[in-house]
Amino acid sequence: MFLRYWKKLGRNYSQSVNFRTSENLPIHQNDKHIGLFYTLKQEKCKELFGSGGFPKSFMKQTKTFTETSIMIRQPALDIMNCIQLSDFDKPAIRYVLFGEKGSGKSLTMAHLLHFANEEGFLIIHVPWVSEWLRRVPRHKEMANSLTRDGFVDLPLDAAAWLLHFKTQNRVYLKSADLVTSKEYVWSKREKTEMGKPLLELVEHGINRVKYSCDVIDVLMSEIKILSNNKKCKTFVAIDGFNSFFYPLTRLNTPTKRKVTPEEVTLTTSFMELTKNNWTNAAIVLTVDQLAVPDDRQESYLPRYLLYKKGFEHIDPFVPMEIGRYTEKEFLSCASYYRDRLWLRGPPDVETELKFTSACNPYRFMEQCAPL
Amino acid sequence: MMNIKNFAICCIFKRFNLIENINRWPEFSNRCYAKATSFPDYFQNPVFRKEDQSKLIESSEISKLAALPVKPPAAYETSSTYHDPLVNKVINHVMEMGKKALARSLVEKAFENIKRIQIERYHLAKTPDEKNKIELNPKIILHKAIENCKPLLQLSPVKRGGITYQVPGPITDKRSLFLAIKWLLEATNDKERTIHFPEQFAWELLDAANNTGKVVKRKQDLHRQCEANRAYAHYRW
Repeated sequence: MFLRYWKKLGRNYSQSVNFRTSENLPIHQNDKHIGLFYTLKQEKCKELFGSGGFPKSFMKQTKTFTETSIMIRQPALDIMNCIQLSDFDKPAIRYVLFGEKGSGKSLTMAHLLHFANEEGFLIIHVPWVSEWLRRVPRHKEMANSLTRDGFVDLPLDAAAWLLHFKTQNRVYLKSADLVTSKEYVWSKREKTEMGKPLLELVEHGINRVKYSCDVIDVLMSEIKILSNNKKCKTFVAIDGFNSFFYPLTRLNTPTKRKVTPEEVTLTTSFMELTKNNWTNAAIVLTVDQLAVPDDRQESYLPRYLLYKKGFEHIDPFVPMEIGRYTEKEFLSCASYYRDRLWLRGPPDVETELKFTSACNPYRFMEQCAPL
Repeated sequence: MMNIKNFAICCIFKRFNLIENINRWPEFSNRCYAKATSFPDYFQNPVFRKEDQSKLIESSEISKLAALPVKPPAAYETSSTYHDPLVNKVINHVMEMGKKALARSLVEKAFENIKRIQIERYHLAKTPDEKNKIELNPKIILHKAIENCKPLLQLSPVKRGGITYQVPGPITDKRSLFLAIKWLLEATNDKERTIHFPEQFAWELLDAANNTGKVVKRKQDLHRQCEANRAYAHYRW
């Protein structure tokens, strides 16, 4: 009798609290874990997302919640499955994440990055393209490119990105396989010889900010060659990819001329990277309304946001829509927020919030804030 | 004057009641219009809360109301579970130039800040006893803060024999509420240009709920002034 009661109690308890999983490695996660939160280790977070990668509001949340937890959702699991099952001798497959504002594209990408890191991919991650092309703070440096005529360099941004690349791939850059395939001459006194490790190339870009854009260009082509030669497998993740195709950026040349995205050196190198003329790689891109100005936010579908040009550039791709919360996901998220003291009050608050937020993850989080 | 202590005790009791049913604040349930409206006098005020409705049904007064025409409820009068008349009042005080959406976002941002500060404190606290003491609900903090800021007496200028005396006297509940909110907002707006309103408002509310800070000091100063001017009390008549 007592035992039966105990069992029932246990069942009830597990039903109400089951929003967390201890399966902290994305490789082992499967359909059973959908809707559950898993926690990233603090060091891993610093390594992968130390300089961007999580949205700002999520960073705030991690501080308040004293942990970094990501919900395991269907699209992320699907892509992981695809990556695991796909043949890496074939040209690189491009996955495009799209969805409404605040539906969790960036966080899905963060989940995938963690997966790629655990799987041993070399990660090329751009946290937010608009940071380069659309955000113009006072100290932004724009210079005419030295090597290519009519192009614009963003030396400081490029150097910051190289640093980000270095911290994300600290482990893999040490391996002896990753070496340059030819000699690069930067100036009269500076050159990178053939057979030097990639790390040296990256260091050069960080120390000599003037050449950082060219270093990125060279780095991309080197990584492509290395991937083709099976020296490493590469995971490319670019958030806000459609920003590359909006007709105008907010940058100016030193002579106050408006700049189009094609005239930025960084654009060309990442365009080269997202072509499928190389193997042994997986490419994940997100297409986001927030990456372009208000006049181009009517729809969240890739064809609209990427324009014809961008769509044709990445044409054979796997689209993956990130939707709103399902019933189960919403419930688990609400109980997670209750556990983290973010949501309080009687249970009918949840029904109301579900209605007002329309199960949009970001809006749900926002609406819980003043409660 | 002697009643101040009694008053204070009353207030404490009130506060306890308040925490129990935070959403009840009968003062505002009757809407009055500043200007003439298109509704004739016999139009009834809407009953938009579920609790109120069930009360009416219980006391079978609903049949009386059902026969009468009723004003439409305003946009802010909702049956939402987190509807709070006092919060609405504060939002209206924060509002400038009729920009209510902005005012609401500011107050809600302040609530968010309060919540973040308190949750951080909660995680820092070591013993469960300390943790229990920390109030995490920003609405209860607002209620507490306003309760602590309400003055019990006021000074009114009275001219006698060519001299204007500041004469202490009782204050209505409505005016003391008005003063409390006004003082809180004045204290908030007295800030550095670089600090944003929601941040400062959150700090002021937390201070006031803790019975410290600028606003509570201002209230105590007023009480002291009233005490000092007690000799003029008879000029009230």
